[in-house]
Amino acid sequence: MELFANLAHGFVVAFSPINLLMCLIGALVGTLVGVLPGIGTIATVAMLLPITFGLPPVGALIMLAGIYYGAQYGGSTTSILVNIPGEATSVVTALDGHQMAKQGRAGPALAIAAIGSFFAGCVATVLIAVLGAPLTKLALAFGPAEYFSLMVLGLIFAVVLAKGSVLKAIAMIVFGLLLSMVGSDIETGASRMAFNIPELADGLGFATVAMGVFGFAEIIRNLDHGAEMDRNLVQQKITGLMPTRKDLVDSTPAILRGTVLGSILGILPGGGAVIASFAAYTLEKKLAKDPKRFGRGAIEGVAAPESANNAAAQTSFIPLLTLGIPPNAVMALMVGAMTIHGIVPGPQVMQKQPDLVWGMIASMWIGNLMLIIINLPLVGIWVRLLRVPYRLMFPSIVVFCAIGIYSVNNAPVDVVLAGVFGLVGYWLIKHDFEPAPLLLGLVLGPLMEENLRRALLISRGDWSVFLSRPLSAVLLAIAAGLLVLAVLPTLRAKRDEVFVESEG
Amino acid sequence: MSDTPSEAPVKSILPKWVRGPQDFVGGLAMMAVALFALWASSDLQGMHGFSFGAGTAPRMFAVLLLLLGGAVALVGILKDGPHIAAYSWRGPLFVSAAIVFFAVAIRPLGLVVSAFAAFLIAALGSHETRWLEAIIVGACLTLGCALLFPYVLGLPMPMFPRFLIQ
Repeated sequence: MELFANLAHGFVVAFSPINLLMCLIGALVGTLVGVLPGIGTIATVAMLLPITFGLPPVGALIMLAGIYYGAQYGGSTTSILVNIPGEATSVVTALDGHQMAKQGRAGPALAIAAIGSFFAGCVATVLIAVLGAPLTKLALAFGPAEYFSLMVLGLIFAVVLAKGSVLKAIAMIVFGLLLSMVGSDIETGASRMAFNIPELADGLGFATVAMGVFGFAEIIRNLDHGAEMDRNLVQQKITGLMPTRKDLVDSTPAILRGTVLGSILGILPGGGAVIASFAAYTLEKKLAKDPKRFGRGAIEGVAAPESANNAAAQTSFIPLLTLGIPPNAVMALMVGAMTIHGIVPGPQVMQKQPDLVWGMIASMWIGNLMLIIINLPLVGIWVRLLRVPYRLMFPSIVVFCAIGIYSVNNAPVDVVLAGVFGLVGYWLIKHDFEPAPLLLGLVLGPLMEENLRRALLISRGDWSVFLSRPLSAVLLAIAAGLLVLAVLPTLRAKRDEVFVESEG
Repeated sequence: MSDTPSEAPVKSILPKWVRGPQDFVGGLAMMAVALFALWASSDLQGMHGFSFGAGTAPRMFAVLLLLLGGAVALVGILKDGPHIAAYSWRGPLFVSAAIVFFAVAIRPLGLVVSAFAAFLIAALGSHETRWLEAIIVGACLTLGCALLFPYVLGLPMPMFPRFLIQ
């Protein structure tokens, strides 16, 4: 069995001391940012991108992956204990989780969240391993036209699953595409929109933009509300982590459903972990015999979204590893990390860098095991961290980001650029533009242009090539269909309903 | 993600027929970005024959953004929407100031001075800052970064002011 041989190879790689250490660091940092409200996963991965410079590529990616799924674990802790979601993906967990905590059942809530996450993580790891090879084979059969259409489909998916106005999300993607054009042209080497600034000759640094739009902008926005965030910690000691037999019986089907739903939504581009947790919660509420229990401490309302967000966080690696297309903003940053290490993401990665791919997959399982230990017995330590006031956290993040960006190219201009993008990001948030699609556009821009050019060159300038090649035509048709569906009033209402759930 | 628009009636400089100022201004700004990009890429070569020139893709995306920006602005005219959210000046000002100071200072003054000073400047961004506490944390952070980046991660950067070393 090729699969087992691959996985075994992966475990050998992942169990090397340095990679184990990277995995642990990733899981710890992930839990930390997950627990702390006000620092998002995207910002953290962006912040740590420069740091991975000096590391071997496998270790670097293992660490970054650990941050992403680790944050899904950590986010639930804050949601349950403080009623503030530590992460966007744990927004719905707060609804029932915090109610449980108020009823003195914080322990079981935390335990179920961790167990659900662990189960989902294990399933997702297997899924990545199983789907990896066949999807890669499919991807290798793709020509430039198919690739271009696939990217269009991916971006449309991202728009449809994103929150808020479809029109604005598309505008953000195109803004990102436009920003990606800065720098020298791949084919002719002509300098484009660089205004003779030498630091722009290679294009806008990916980490720079991400750190600005997600790191700095988020800090500035948080300062609007005043640095003192309202943190109603559940004060009583957490007693009895173990869930009762009834809790387990109640939450098992919810965990299973959450895992399946999360796995599917994770593969699809766009929402990733956030939409998965919302959808899983909505599904549980629809299926429940007594929906009124939800919002009053139903354990399914914790189990399902927490399983779903962790499953989705992991399966979103599938399109990245097999097709080289990032399905969400965090994966876009992983592309950035790969490029820093000279790895071009795409189907060939699986064949040329088996260490990297299988090592990372195996490390996810190890990471999940570490996380359940980090999160359950040590929950007290994380709760204490919540007492660190934001007024001390935010200047630290600003300085840390600034040093990080400077270290990428030793270029002060990059730091200023990140600052500028911070203000741009703040402005975008104020005008209700989502910055995540911008990041996707920025990453996919050069790839799209290259494939578009090649496809048209091969077809001798005939644009109909995108429709005459069957696979490409199907992909574009799905994209068009999705777009139509997204603007139809009935589906829009449904979509909004899923998101409104949290705000009510 | 969106902030709830403030309830207080905002004095709007926009004409009355703009029903959703947030979208209207947002769309206009996107159009401005697109026009700027069109101008900036106007010196690049366009299509030659059936192959793309350096300027083809940028102009394509710019035109697309121009249209989308226009559509967003149009939505702002036709549909009732939120007002422009209130900006605060303190956070953006001091955080940007800290970033710019760091960028300017890192080469001549080194990591230790610029990181510590940037920390304090950023701390001005909140009126809740307590100075003693901030100075202690800032010093610890500076020390941590001064160890982490050059030694643990092996990323060389100037540590101390140039004039002290010479």
